[in-house]
Amino acid sequence: MRCKEATQQLQLYLDNRLTIKQVRALEAHLASCNACLAELTILEEVVNDLQTFKVVVEPYDLNAQIMRRVAIAASQRNTPASRFTLWHPSLLEILVAATLATVATIGTILQQSSIRALLPFANGHDRLSLAFLNILHTLMTIDSITLILALWIGGTFLGICITLIFAGSEMRTQWFKAMMERLPVR
Amino acid sequence: MSEHSLQSSHTIGISVTNAVPSAIEQDDLLLVAISKNGDQEAFAQLVQRYQRRVFNLVYRMLQQYEEATEITQETFLAAWQGLPAFRGDARFPTWLYRIAYNCSLKQLELRKRDRALQVALEAEKILEHANNEQRENAELDAHDRQALVQEQLSHLPAKYRIVLILRHLQDMTYEEMAEILTMPIGTIKTHLFRARNLLKERLQSLNRESDMG
Repeated sequence: MRCKEATQQLQLYLDNRLTIKQVRALEAHLASCNACLAELTILEEVVNDLQTFKVVVEPYDLNAQIMRRVAIAASQRNTPASRFTLWHPSLLEILVAATLATVATIGTILQQSSIRALLPFANGHDRLSLAFLNILHTLMTIDSITLILALWIGGTFLGICITLIFAGSEMRTQWFKAMMERLPVR
Repeated sequence: MSEHSLQSSHTIGISVTNAVPSAIEQDDLLLVAISKNGDQEAFAQLVQRYQRRVFNLVYRMLQQYEEATEITQETFLAAWQGLPAFRGDARFPTWLYRIAYNCSLKQLELRKRDRALQVALEAEKILEHANNEQRENAELDAHDRQALVQEQLSHLPAKYRIVLILRHLQDMTYEEMAEILTMPIGTIKTHLFRARNLLKERLQSLNRESDMG
């Protein structure tokens, strides 16, 4: 056996990973080669140094600390809060929702003629309010079935918008993708 | 860290392989199955069984007691959260060690980025260097030598450090190490070979410097 081969096998020898045949050949070489024997001695010292490392004792309350964190994680997993995980509206979404709600409220208020009379606009004298009242008059004079249909379409559209605003961007993207897939055109 | 918190590895016996594998493995599997159903008491038993081994692995990787405590907690928390995905392909401690190793690596990466901590470490190194200089002329007794090996171990690349820790401090076989580190046995052999040689060369060069001084 040559020194190069012996040096490569020294670590496997220390780890008991050599076959009996290899061990015999290596030990025969070591008996006649002082350089390789010295190398083995140094390696043995390194291994001994590592194996005599002290075991470090963990903090006495480590188990309790771990289990405290586990309990918190478990309680978070069980709470119904997960139902609202998609509810992360951005500032823009909140503003849009607030605007829609404001428009709906103003619309309801303006239907009251007594309130309209108090306002400097929408009181039947300026152009804007005249246009508004004309539209309102048209809506009031159409037959009830058409009106209900229009309200139903408008209400559904408004409902979808509000749902999508509060569903969060992830859900919105998924919905949009699903809608696009169903469309006959690309 | 105080001296009383250290114990000889021989008295504690942290070896995974020396234990009776079948009985412990079966018990582990039972506790894991119960823990999967949300039983925290069963999981606490698993924590009790493996916390010292996991803590020592993490501590040797990070070399900081407080940090090792935090990362050990994170390891077990990750294990708890990952239990539903544990299918029992590997033994529970093997799986746990893998999590501990990954958490330690993540922490080492974070530490690299944390400039403030690096500055603190530099200061610690300067202090350590001054201490080394003070004892330059003194003969190295067994305790000093251990401290030196420990210091040199902490300067090895993480991939070499972990194989030395698993092989010599946790008394693992090549096969167990390969399973934990998800590497072929050939790579484990190569890493061990290089790690020991690096450690040997560094210790030799320090000894030479000490002799010349």
